[in-house]
Amino acid sequence: MVIRKSIKEIIILVSVSVALALVVNTLSPRGIALVGQWDITKGVITANPAGDAAGQKKEIDSVARAKTLFDKGDVLFVDARSQNQYGNGHIPGAVSLPVGQFEERIESFLNRYPPEQPIVTYCSGRTCEDSHDLAQFLSDVGFNNVRIFIDGFPGWEAEGYPIE
Amino acid sequence: MFGFLSTDFRAGKRKDIQLNKLRQSIKNNSWIELAVRWILGLTFIYASYHKIISPSDFAKIVYGYGLFPEIFINLIAIVIPFLELIAGLALIIGVYPRSAAMIINALLLVFVTVLAINLIRGHEFDCGCFSAGQSGYASSSEVTLVRDVIYFILGIQVVLFEGHRRSCFGRIISK
Repeated sequence: MVIRKSIKEIIILVSVSVALALVVNTLSPRGIALVGQWDITKGVITANPAGDAAGQKKEIDSVARAKTLFDKGDVLFVDARSQNQYGNGHIPGAVSLPVGQFEERIESFLNRYPPEQPIVTYCSGRTCEDSHDLAQFLSDVGFNNVRIFIDGFPGWEAEGYPIE
Repeated sequence: MFGFLSTDFRAGKRKDIQLNKLRQSIKNNSWIELAVRWILGLTFIYASYHKIISPSDFAKIVYGYGLFPEIFINLIAIVIPFLELIAGLALIIGVYPRSAAMIINALLLVFVTVLAINLIRGHEFDCGCFSAGQSGYASSSEVTLVRDVIYFILGIQVVLFEGHRRSCFGRIISK
């Protein structure tokens, strides 16, 4: 009897939670899709595959393509990771602009580079979205040629390309 | 000599009885029950807050555990925080307190299992227990594990309690 009562109560509490969760998630601007993109072979992982359509067009999804751009020499690589990670190793010539310190750092960055400067952002590979956020922020302040190297530093390093 | 042993034996027996009494009085102490409900309730409501605010960060943490099928990651990230919130609220206002404690203990059991599996296989990840925002910040999972076990033991008190529960809104409804 006690067990039946508990089961009934648990079903009620769980149902209320699930219903509330789905309603809030649907109405909230920060809500996420019911199924996310969590397969790293298909690209950067994200809870919100639908919301990222604009970002996906700017993606560079092979290390070789990033290397081609690197070899051309006119592209500026921008490292979205922390200063610490940048210090431990980065793509040669890359500039550090941690996405968490964007507001403090962007002014000196703007003074150094014109808006048409071709930029490639990167972070720690397909499990991190920082390079996407940084690309978005850079576009917002006027840079019109920003792309995202989604395999990031780990992908670059794994191919044996030079680091510094 | 034997007399000495038997008093010793009797003393031991008395100690057993006292211990049993103590256990009973903790189990059925309504003030402890109320305190435990508030501690667990507030903890779980607090823990749900950041996850509800940024579900995409929490989803990434769930992914980071490396234990859940890809199609369920978002659903887990959407539902678990509300389960914590509703169960926490139910404990505090006293609606279905025993069942709410069972839900909380079930969640704790899942958390402990996930933490333990990842500790054993040396999988590094952000625990995401209270705040999802700080990526790259990994709080010690040993500490979290011990904390969750303590919460679980507290939860058992609420589940096993048989006396009159204090300040329960639920009694008004169920009567």
